[in-house]
Amino acid sequence: MRRRSGPPGPPSRAARALLGALGLAGVAAVFEAIPRAGIVSPDYLPPFSTMIAALGREAGAAPFWRALLDTIEGWALGLAIAVVLGSVLGVAIGSVRGLRAATASTIEFLRPIPSVALIPVAVLLYGAQLRSTLLLVVYAAFWPILLQVIHGVADVDPVARDTALSYRFTPWAKIRYLLLPTGLPYILTGLRLSAAVALILAVTAELVIGTPGLGKEIAVAMASSAVPAMYALILVVGLFGVAVNLGVRALERRVLSWHTSVRLEAAR
Amino acid sequence: MRRHALSWICAVTALFALDCGRSKSTTGGGEPETKTETKAPPAAGSAGPTKLSVAAIAIVDVAPLYLAKAKGFFTEENLDLTIQNTQGGAESVPGVISGQYQFAFANVISLLLAHSKGLPLQVIAAGNFSTGKAEDFGGILVPAGSPIKTMKELEGKKLAVNQIKNIGGVTVRAAMRKAGGDPDKIEFLEVRFPEMPARLGQKDIDAAWVVEPFLTVARNQGATVLDWNFADTAPSLMIAAYFTTRDYAKANPDVVKRFTAAINKGLSYAQDHPDEARAILLTYTKIDKPIADKLNLPVWTPEINRASIDVLAELMVQDKLVTSKPDVDALLK
Repeated sequence: MRRRSGPPGPPSRAARALLGALGLAGVAAVFEAIPRAGIVSPDYLPPFSTMIAALGREAGAAPFWRALLDTIEGWALGLAIAVVLGSVLGVAIGSVRGLRAATASTIEFLRPIPSVALIPVAVLLYGAQLRSTLLLVVYAAFWPILLQVIHGVADVDPVARDTALSYRFTPWAKIRYLLLPTGLPYILTGLRLSAAVALILAVTAELVIGTPGLGKEIAVAMASSAVPAMYALILVVGLFGVAVNLGVRALERRVLSWHTSVRLEAAR
Repeated sequence: MRRHALSWICAVTALFALDCGRSKSTTGGGEPETKTETKAPPAAGSAGPTKLSVAAIAIVDVAPLYLAKAKGFFTEENLDLTIQNTQGGAESVPGVISGQYQFAFANVISLLLAHSKGLPLQVIAAGNFSTGKAEDFGGILVPAGSPIKTMKELEGKKLAVNQIKNIGGVTVRAAMRKAGGDPDKIEFLEVRFPEMPARLGQKDIDAAWVVEPFLTVARNQGATVLDWNFADTAPSLMIAAYFTTRDYAKANPDVVKRFTAAINKGLSYAQDHPDEARAILLTYTKIDKPIADKLNLPVWTPEINRASIDVLAELMVQDKLVTSKPDVDALLK
């Protein structure tokens, strides 16, 4: 996996990390300065240091960690279901021409329905439970994966497909040597899109419906007029988002180390 | 190509089977729970505590529920209570109707509205009450330095409530009538409670109907009280109640009786021990301790105030929330 072929590899990555950290520090400094300078009332936008202090208090109590785990559970489980469903259906739809034509208009009808519009349905079906979160997360995260996989399957090189046919590849060999190499980059692109969308919907469900998780804690903080705690929890959600993005990128680099797009990026 | 497609269809069905298995197992986990609920009452003593789920919004009003749980009042009645904190009546009513929660907490107007729409709800215990005098847990605030000194001066002014067609709007209009003003001349707008202190601070609204803890927060920031609208509406106005469905009450009279006994004990206990009520706030809300120590608590008592519900039911007709007076008797059983 360690294929840092270009000479300026490691230092540039360190430099990039440093610049990223500087950027974050800059944002923190701005959020510290604005309320202190009186541009916005600190009652509604507390200084960054106050938010961090509130975060410390939150992190010192068990409910915070339970909420964090609940959010991770809703996100991960929803994303996993969406990835499996999306990949399986995507391959099925993508490889059967008739099925593709038959489902195209249905997909185009269902896909633009915003997941948040399903909140009333989720409330009626499941109430303030994990399953409500899952309904929203799966619905939102499913479409990017499905579409990517459908396109990925369609992208299989016809010559390679014919070759596989002539050599009477077993179904497993077809998946391993034909579908996966073509489809994997598509799946991972879909995964990257879906991972972010899944987090947004997980927190939205918690915030609006009150299913357990960080979103609900934010809502409770808001209903308690605990402004610094509210911002602290929002920061945590933001950091979670950064971690999700870094994680998917790392996965992409590992799984697609052989792919041109990743090799180009590494060489840069 | 055909065999290729076939292998995929097999994979798809296999995964679906997996998924079906998963969802079956989760619903399977829920089923015995509902079964024990219906079975438990007759076998109460022997078969362990009855599992119950109660929906309640995490606000000051439901402190007795948390206090009763912490004090073991539900355990004494052989009830194993889970408090689900939802975001308000919009979820608790459908949740109770669909059976996800056996009981829930909602304000009287929401209950009367749901009832007059044909939802078979039944009140099983009092929730909370206005103090009926100055220093209530909800009131009308004006920004610091506001020229408005009397209710009548609100004519033509912008007043924020959380919901116009609910307890806020109805009681503000009642207070305006009592002051001799025309409630139709108030320019109502809907603002969520957490945003009200900021809106008052920016003075882009002339007044706001605010409940605790935002009442104390806004007053700490300089807003002043113009009127105690609950007290103007009816003496010791009952604001909210605990409820279930008529079907559940009919099928499980014993569970309902035990729940009512426990929550009633909690209501009296909270009223007699305000310090403990304030302390329990810190466990289920994130209200800062200085605010929790200072805020106005509602009155808690097990006595359902029938007369005040009648007043609200009549006001609902007058304010055109409903076309005919809701059947208060049916709601109270």
